[in-house]
Amino acid sequence: MKVNIVDWHGVATWHWKLASNDGKAGYVDELCGICRVPFDGTCPNCKFPGDDCPLVLGRGCIHNFHVHCILKWLEQEASKGLCPMCRQVFVHDPEDNPHSEEFEYLQQLEDGHRLLREKGETTYEE
Amino acid sequence: MLKIRQLQKKKLEEAAASAAATADITGNSSTISSNNKITPAQLRLQKDITELDIPKSIKLTFPNSSDLFNFNLSITPQQGYYKLGTFQFTVEINGNFPMDPPRIKCSNKIYHPNIDLSGNVCLNILREDWSPVLNLNSVLIGLNFLFLEPNPNDPLNKDAANVLVKNKTLFAKNVRDSMRGGYVDQEYYDRIV
Repeated sequence: MKVNIVDWHGVATWHWKLASNDGKAGYVDELCGICRVPFDGTCPNCKFPGDDCPLVLGRGCIHNFHVHCILKWLEQEASKGLCPMCRQVFVHDPEDNPHSEEFEYLQQLEDGHRLLREKGETTYEE
Repeated sequence: MLKIRQLQKKKLEEAAASAAATADITGNSSTISSNNKITPAQLRLQKDITELDIPKSIKLTFPNSSDLFNFNLSITPQQGYYKLGTFQFTVEINGNFPMDPPRIKCSNKIYHPNIDLSGNVCLNILREDWSPVLNLNSVLIGLNFLFLEPNPNDPLNKDAANVLVKNKTLFAKNVRDSMRGGYVDQEYYDRIV
């Protein structure tokens, strides 16, 4: 038998590599804790999943979030710069993440909260 | 001024500018209705409401079924000091949810260490310990817990807290008297049984 391939379609699937996939955490959390949308979906402000709506992983804690979601949280003074899940100081690993506007902004917010912390607790009480 | 404040301010200005721009667009061409767009807060709130898993003692009522952001809540504790009273609350959720916590106020005037006479509730997760990973369920469970275990260590009604610490029997009596609608220490409380 001879088969002539006339046409073919390649299909690929993708999946974010999550912290919990490394086996560091005992459970797999598939939803962003802040917006409750799966990581492979987008944050509520985006249309297309993937590189346009990246994830971030805390360094020190092992919690993933949509970058856009954690940015919104860290913009709040009430967040005190803490991870919403474990309340440790939220820092991300710049090495691990692409250079983009979002991550620069994230870095700025993290630095801002660090300065506030260094100035003392009183800064938070207005 | 601190950098983070500047960032926030910048962000706000941008938001205001884009809001003004969309207002312009909708003003010019009335076919575009930006009001129908589902906001992130609405999305998240809908999920929270469908996933609610609360004890029978808590009931939610929506006075305006198209408005999920404002609703009423009644709690009827099945045990503890406040057993069988029915306490009404209003819940107000703003457009910045889940970054901002829900605002919960008690509509009755009640005798409780953690609720003041104007109905403000002192619950850590509604204030300083709020986090966007908490949901409506955790808040309602927290509120319910205040009636099972009033906490005298972080009081809004200091007199009630002092009585709870010093004399539990008197506290129980005061709660009973207040729930029936009556005076405790020259203060009148609403009847809620």
